[in-house]
Amino acid sequence: MKALLPLLVVLLASCTSTTVDEFRQGETGINSDESIVILGRRHSSDYETRAEFVDCVGERMTTGNDSISVIPEKEFVDAMFPWFEPRTAPLRTQDLERLMAEPVVAEKMAEFGVRYMVWLDGFTETSGRTGTISCTVGPGGAGCFGFGSWEDDSTFDARVWDVASLQNVGTISTDASGQSYLPALVIPIPLIARVEANACVRLADQLKQFVNGE
Amino acid sequence: MIFNECMMKNSIRSIAKPLCTAFCALVLASCGVSKVVIEGSYPSPNVAKLPLSLAVVYDEPLRNFSYIEYSETGAEEFNIASGASHVALFDAVLPAMFESVVEAVSLEEAESLGVDAIFVPAIDEFQLALPNKTKLDVYEVWIRYNMRLVSGDGAPIADWVLTSYGKTPTESLRTADAAINDAAVVALRDLASSFSLSFAQVPEVRDWLASR
Repeated sequence: MKALLPLLVVLLASCTSTTVDEFRQGETGINSDESIVILGRRHSSDYETRAEFVDCVGERMTTGNDSISVIPEKEFVDAMFPWFEPRTAPLRTQDLERLMAEPVVAEKMAEFGVRYMVWLDGFTETSGRTGTISCTVGPGGAGCFGFGSWEDDSTFDARVWDVASLQNVGTISTDASGQSYLPALVIPIPLIARVEANACVRLADQLKQFVNGE
Repeated sequence: MIFNECMMKNSIRSIAKPLCTAFCALVLASCGVSKVVIEGSYPSPNVAKLPLSLAVVYDEPLRNFSYIEYSETGAEEFNIASGASHVALFDAVLPAMFESVVEAVSLEEAESLGVDAIFVPAIDEFQLALPNKTKLDVYEVWIRYNMRLVSGDGAPIADWVLTSYGKTPTESLRTADAAINDAAVVALRDLASSFSLSFAQVPEVRDWLASR
């Protein structure tokens, strides 16, 4: 039992802590025939919001109680081409207003039944890599020995635009961090903190409540 | 006993030769240039069509365009072929922008078609930025184009430069070839979006359209 104690400590330590903040600027609510679209911001020079994270939030919002119809990002961006590319996408609600003045854009938007447009912006950063692991292969077999650890920090903002009123109705921010460990005693045992996955789940749940007006 | 030794030596030689050949081939392959043929799908732009008939000429340098990235030691590292992808991109974009589009093999043939204008795109420069050189966690592609528009009888209308940019982040389990392809496809989409949205705003094109 005493031998298992350090492993238990490490397992507990590899948990993730997540903080979600909501800032509401307007009333929300969605009808059953309306949809939302979740888009990733990709205009920054040093990072871009991963498509996998955008998909994760979208998939989570389409499941469970009070699920919402979410248009897949690629389907929407391709159908609206070239108006939602990294260089042409609206950065402010005033830009969206100008964009909606284009008949082709307004027509496509109505076809999709988009009520809210959610802009996800953020990334996951890995820092504090420590430790070493060395692996050896010989005629008698192979094995690794050592210990490694690192910290992941995910920061994402979700800005919600009401397409009907062309207003920014709120922002939800999520910050998740967690320490991962990789002890290796013959075989490496990865104890990975699911930082981005947790940020996705918490953000999607909060976003679902927000859009439903709860 | 001597016979057995001889047989063993012959047997080792017969195995060693193909093994050595395979090993050498593997070493050479790992040191060789990596060929990347850019492949992607390009949607048609949702823009208002211009009431023009257009002929497009894809010349040989565009059709067969490839860029070679050299390593720091001067060896060929990546050979990126994007000519076919550029043709596919313009084939998707132009019919959405103009009333009718025909392809011609040369400027002379295009002039005989009786169209309103002839479009000749060309790639001026291609640049690739790799994470191991820039120390950034992104693959970047930057392309500069020279776009040329002449009237149906060959008189020059406009000659302008367009640049496009695409990047894709590094990811574990994604090869450099796949990342370069993704960055190039983003750059090609960027070209399509800026070309389709800015075409009628090019001063010479705008003046020509107004004079019609």
